[in-house]
Amino acid sequence: MTVPLQLDAGAIASGVNNVWVLVVCFLIFFMQPGFALLEAGQVRAKNVGNVLMKNMTDWTLGVLVFFIVGAGFSSIVGGLTSPGGFSVAGAFAYINDPTAYIGWFFGAVFAMTAATIVSGAVAGRMNFNAYVFVAAAMTAIIYPAVTGMTWAGGLLSGSGYIGQALGVGYLDFAGATVVHMVGGLAGLVGAKMVGPRKGRFDGNGNSQPIPGHSMLLAVLGTLFLAFGWYGFNVGTQATVLSASDGSLTFMGGALGQVVLNTTLGMGAGAVAAMIVSASWQGKPDPLWAANGLLAGLVAVTGAVPHVTWWGALILGALVGALVLPTFRWVVDSLKIDDVCGVFVVHGSSGAIGTILIPVFGVTATGGYTFLGVDQLLMQVVGVIVIGVWTVIATMVAFKIAGAIWGLRVSEEEEELGLDESEHGVSVYPEFVAGGSREGPTVSADGGLAEEVSDD
Amino acid sequence: MTDSEIQMVVAVVRPDKLGEVKQALAETGAPSLTVTNVSGRGSQPAKKGQWRGEQYTVDLHQKVKIECVVADIPAEDVVDAISEAAHTGEPGDGKIFVLDVEEAYQVRTGKEGTEAV
Repeated sequence: MTVPLQLDAGAIASGVNNVWVLVVCFLIFFMQPGFALLEAGQVRAKNVGNVLMKNMTDWTLGVLVFFIVGAGFSSIVGGLTSPGGFSVAGAFAYINDPTAYIGWFFGAVFAMTAATIVSGAVAGRMNFNAYVFVAAAMTAIIYPAVTGMTWAGGLLSGSGYIGQALGVGYLDFAGATVVHMVGGLAGLVGAKMVGPRKGRFDGNGNSQPIPGHSMLLAVLGTLFLAFGWYGFNVGTQATVLSASDGSLTFMGGALGQVVLNTTLGMGAGAVAAMIVSASWQGKPDPLWAANGLLAGLVAVTGAVPHVTWWGALILGALVGALVLPTFRWVVDSLKIDDVCGVFVVHGSSGAIGTILIPVFGVTATGGYTFLGVDQLLMQVVGVIVIGVWTVIATMVAFKIAGAIWGLRVSEEEEELGLDESEHGVSVYPEFVAGGSREGPTVSADGGLAEEVSDD
Repeated sequence: MTDSEIQMVVAVVRPDKLGEVKQALAETGAPSLTVTNVSGRGSQPAKKGQWRGEQYTVDLHQKVKIECVVADIPAEDVVDAISEAAHTGEPGDGKIFVLDVEEAYQVRTGKEGTEAV
């Protein structure tokens, strides 16, 4: 569709595209309440406030750190790992450039998505100060280095050292690996280093379930996430109107490709997980279906513009079917207490979906094409590079946090619940002092409550 | 201690000790029980809660109440099993009471007395 205009086509395109980017950023921000609910529902009631506090910290502290350090560090890594070179002043020029702020915000909502994934893995036993440190490291160093190596033109991109050596750039459209696998792997490493919750494994090392306190919250959080995900995937197609020679072209095909593939990946992931859970456990399980839905979304997040519609469907179904067995493998074989299953939902699903992009390649007219052995090799190399970096950098961050604060709360604090021991609150207070007719509260054989409780 | 053939042991213990208590009761030969979530006040110091900078006192602590009726097994054994399994040594471990039971009936079979327990 081409429309001749008297107006400045470039200005119109730029305006529409920037407003579109802002709108999708707001959608992506809405993934934060999704994560908060998803994780809150999967922990015990005594740890809900702690999970909420971590999620709020990821976003609020994260945006500060990403503005002051992270976004600039990403550019530096991009310059260091490609022949382009870099200047520190250039890398941080966005800080005083209002025209760069929308672009920075677009990067920030993705960065905070990666950071907030980690809390789901280490819920219920991690020291809060140590967690805050890890969250800052995620948004300052760990995640920005990955975007530097990929989207910022570094190591794995077509202009980076590895990209040039292989003759192709790494494909990950909206961050199946750059965002989700980084978060999922960091969560797995964190859960391993913090150790399992008390009672998660019995004396023989067999897993004992610690059911979440609200499947309702978990499933609602999943659907909130899916809603925000349309911003994540479709919004990465940031060009809605393309201007050239004074005329505007609407990018309807490109937008349609990503919105359809996002939707099919989500649907196939949930249906496959539902079927597998039904055959494994005898009945279809809502939490597995919800996890499969998210896994399907993760799998296609890097692939949406690059694969055919049926390719997206297969990718979603494949990782959805793998959700349950992979989670059992993490728990039963690796003995890692990944509370919310972030490794399988975000980590392995992102890797599988991104590696297989070339196998399901799409042509400009919607036909099928294999994207080549070089591209396939590049996808494998990219996943390995990002994976190795994430695991090592996360281990270092947790080591430092552990040395300063200790990674875990004490056994007594864990038993009491992190809401009370780490934050002094109760998310579901049942009894309060109200109703006592006179003066201080009495403790039957412990004297006045006020006297005995000042510890 | 008592003439009654059937006795009920009522124990109020820490919720996180429930698993160990169940295990201990099973090993004692008294696996049947009823469990209720309860809140109560005893020797355990009151807790402070916070809401918007104001403190409030919570002097009711969450416990579980276990009721266990026995006929063939001495109530003392049940008491010993529970107190051993639920013990931490800190205030708030709970209390155990033993009551005489006048009569018992099993709904499914219609059995009465010690047979029903």
